[in-house]
Amino acid sequence: MSSIITLTLPGEIMFARLASQTASSLADLVIGENREESAKRKFCHAFELAVSEAVTNSVTHAEEFDAPQMLTVTFEFEPRQLTVSVRDANPPFSIDKSAPDIESYPVHGFGLKIIREIMDQFTYRRDGDANIITMSKSL
Amino acid sequence: MNITETSNGAIAIVAIEGRLDALSAPELRNNRSVIDPEKTVVLNLEKLDFMNSTGLGAIVGALNQKLQPDFGIVLSCMNDDVRSVFEITNVQKLFHIFDDTAAAVEFATTRQGAHT
Repeated sequence: MSSIITLTLPGEIMFARLASQTASSLADLVIGENREESAKRKFCHAFELAVSEAVTNSVTHAEEFDAPQMLTVTFEFEPRQLTVSVRDANPPFSIDKSAPDIESYPVHGFGLKIIREIMDQFTYRRDGDANIITMSKSL
Repeated sequence: MNITETSNGAIAIVAIEGRLDALSAPELRNNRSVIDPEKTVVLNLEKLDFMNSTGLGAIVGALNQKLQPDFGIVLSCMNDDVRSVFEITNVQKLFHIFDDTAAAVEFATTRQGAHT
């Protein structure tokens, strides 16, 4: 059995922080008391960081395309997995870009690399006019 | 996020507290010592609780502005969460990173002295 929590947020940067802090709190709730403190901390941070990256990306692109809009962040709790989906109405984008070259002192372009590194599963799909990023991490 | 700034000789010590993300990154980008190309800055990250890639980009951007990319920005005291963001992205290669601020200041002072 799973539980689902959905946040509907304005596409403004301050709400990216709200989404990531919510992710951290939810991860802390579901990770359980029996884990070592360092493992709990690492799990919660990974989940918070992944949501921060995905939602920040969403909001930034919404502003870039001058399309302020709502985005939906859905958390799904399963017995052994925590999943989050971020849905927005931005234009489609590619997830196949490689990470930027460090030697060029890049100031952006790391979000997807971070998500891939810290989450167990990551998918992107286009659903009509919406982008949907889904990320999961095993408990 | 709070930024406090002190100086040690010619070195500015900029301490960042709280969260460095898209909401707070502009404050770091606009810090007067950070944007001064000639100023060597030790960024004390001891009280930085959370940083995402936008925050990371603000720190790399600060380094970009320095005349001396080798020691224009020196980092100290980051926690494991913040360190993981540097390591995942490999950005730690661009910086000298110290576990305590005094060592970071000493390094920056020595490098700056050797360069003048």
